[in-house]
Amino acid sequence: MKNDSRLLLLCLLILSCFAAGKLPAQDWVHTGTNLGNDRIRIAAADFKPLGNDPQNPALKTVFDATLYRDLANAGIFDLVSKSMAPQQTPGSPQEIKLTQWSDAPANAAMVAFGTVSAGNGKLTVYGWLYATTNIASPQVLSKQYSDDASPDSARTLAHRFADDIILRLGGGINGIAETKIYFVSSRTGSKEIWAMDYDGENQHQITHLGSISLSPRVSPDNSRLAFASLSNSGWSVRMYSLELNRPVGFSAGTAGGSNQSPAWSADGAKIAFSSSRTGDPEIWVCDASGANLRRLTSFRGPDVSPTWNPRTNAQIAWVSGRTGLPQIYIMDADGANIQRMTDGGYAISPSWSPNGQFLTFSWNRKYGPGDPGGQDIYVMDIASKRWLQVTHESGSNDFPSWAPDGRHIVFERASGSHAQIWTMLADGTGQRQLTHTGNNYMPNWSWK
Amino acid sequence: MISLLEDLEQLNRAPAPDPIGAPAIGSLALHLVLFGSLLLYGVLNGFFHHMMWGNPGSGGAIEVSLVSNALPLPAEKVNENVLTTDTPSQAPAEPTPKTKEAEDEKAIEISGKQVKPQQKTAPKAQKNPQLAKDNHAQYGEQAGSAMPRSATAQGGNGPVSVANGDFGSRFGWYVDIIKHKVDQNWYRAEVDPRTPKGATVQVYFKVSRQGVPSNFKINNSSGSPTLDLSCERATQRVDTFGALPAGSNDQWIDVTYDCAY
Repeated sequence: MKNDSRLLLLCLLILSCFAAGKLPAQDWVHTGTNLGNDRIRIAAADFKPLGNDPQNPALKTVFDATLYRDLANAGIFDLVSKSMAPQQTPGSPQEIKLTQWSDAPANAAMVAFGTVSAGNGKLTVYGWLYATTNIASPQVLSKQYSDDASPDSARTLAHRFADDIILRLGGGINGIAETKIYFVSSRTGSKEIWAMDYDGENQHQITHLGSISLSPRVSPDNSRLAFASLSNSGWSVRMYSLELNRPVGFSAGTAGGSNQSPAWSADGAKIAFSSSRTGDPEIWVCDASGANLRRLTSFRGPDVSPTWNPRTNAQIAWVSGRTGLPQIYIMDADGANIQRMTDGGYAISPSWSPNGQFLTFSWNRKYGPGDPGGQDIYVMDIASKRWLQVTHESGSNDFPSWAPDGRHIVFERASGSHAQIWTMLADGTGQRQLTHTGNNYMPNWSWK
Repeated sequence: MISLLEDLEQLNRAPAPDPIGAPAIGSLALHLVLFGSLLLYGVLNGFFHHMMWGNPGSGGAIEVSLVSNALPLPAEKVNENVLTTDTPSQAPAEPTPKTKEAEDEKAIEISGKQVKPQQKTAPKAQKNPQLAKDNHAQYGEQAGSAMPRSATAQGGNGPVSVANGDFGSRFGWYVDIIKHKVDQNWYRAEVDPRTPKGATVQVYFKVSRQGVPSNFKINNSSGSPTLDLSCERATQRVDTFGALPAGSNDQWIDVTYDCAY
């Protein structure tokens, strides 16, 4: 009996050791100072419906909700909640009383207002942006938009007005409300390329190949989509024309071996991708037409997932396993000046920020037996190699991709057997799930 | 003899079986647990995949945080207060001074008792009159996870002045954009820590109609070369402030920007 109890104790001890090994080993980096660099407090008034068209109320509701959401997601505003806003719906500069918006409880520094009118199948929007504290010269923006009278158009016009406001008040950086996100979805049974608006609306299928398609990368002019696809001859980099809505030829991506992870240069003239046609997966570069193919890396060990510095087009970051586990490296576009960026763990899926200053990537800093860590998204300042962890203890996070404004990141989060697309601000705040149907992977944010 | 017979009897007696059942079951259970744990461990730690990447290298990494704040995001306002509510509440009122008990007017005066006349003193004029206290409690939520922005100064960094007529008063929001963008790009870590607090450098630059800054120069040096350089670099890091307001007829604006350490 005594022996049995000892055995039981030993078993419990062994099990507890293994259980302890699985506890998350995360490091948190918390720092911050008060810079007085406040967000702009802005109010989005409900737009005034004009005319008696029966479509008006529905379109106005879509417009108001979309504009409000776009401004809230911009990352640079402190948006006045609807409950704090005055009850009036000013439709023109003559109707607005600025003190109602500048005083408590709204306390808005800026207010966006205007009219929505549907008629003869057309939807017309007049929008103004006023500075509430400058009574003498309050107008900051005045815009007119017109499109077909449909909910999709109402959403599009709201995106345009929001982008104009963000461009005006964000210091010359374009808004992202009209951008698209391309991703892989298996909701139809096979992994195909899909696209959606930046806020998760309007999800639709792009490819219908009935195979496995991965790593979508849209060209800077939004005309073509490069992706990796499995066929009888193995993995190849293929091209899909978003203008013709059909696959188009890309000869450089179909030679022997596995060809994967394409990446466009910011001028749309070159494509980098990974190919094992010489035995080992290496980084290759060619023109967008497929011509002038040449190899950049020639080390033993896999080299995959290239991404260009979009500001200079003169550098490439990629993942290399030359020292064992995958690490992030950068090099010049001709293959010179190789520099290792991560010093351990398991680092994959780099994406270069639009201003050229940061890399975001997925990193498991404590990878290995007995040292389990989480796969999280990190942002690294390239010049100093200092980094910040932006996701914490929320599933396995991978495939981050910068938005063209440099303020947002889209990524894949896998929790259990489900993988979905999420977005967040580049400091890790404001995380939002965009997809909810099926499994969705490998997002890529369009350039504009 | 008898003892010899007893010994023989004992030898002929079948030996009693050893109690091996319980230890065997225990051993089996232990092996099963060990095997299951190893299997679980292998699966959970990705033992069966990613072998193409070679053996795991040493973990660990630099324990530093990102101090650059070039992400085009405004800083979260960090409130150090412990109270966390969105709605300001009135702080408890200060205790009112006790009032003297009112004299009973109906009371009959005791004859013969001398009542000391109350000395009336003129109220002393306060040398430094105190302003009325704002009776609002400090409030506000503690910021959750603000992006580190330890590189720039506290509370903004000095005034921006635009030297083109009434541009500053008509388009205050544009001046704010200039202030925010330069502020975001000023890395305080570049300044020599021996620089005295309050040292201020004034940088001049021109902003074109398209919002692009140019013609950078130091207007008034702070005396600290590192502070001067950091402020000039901050203005040079900005690609654009966005096009000048449509209501402005200026082809460019002249801007002076003070960086106060």
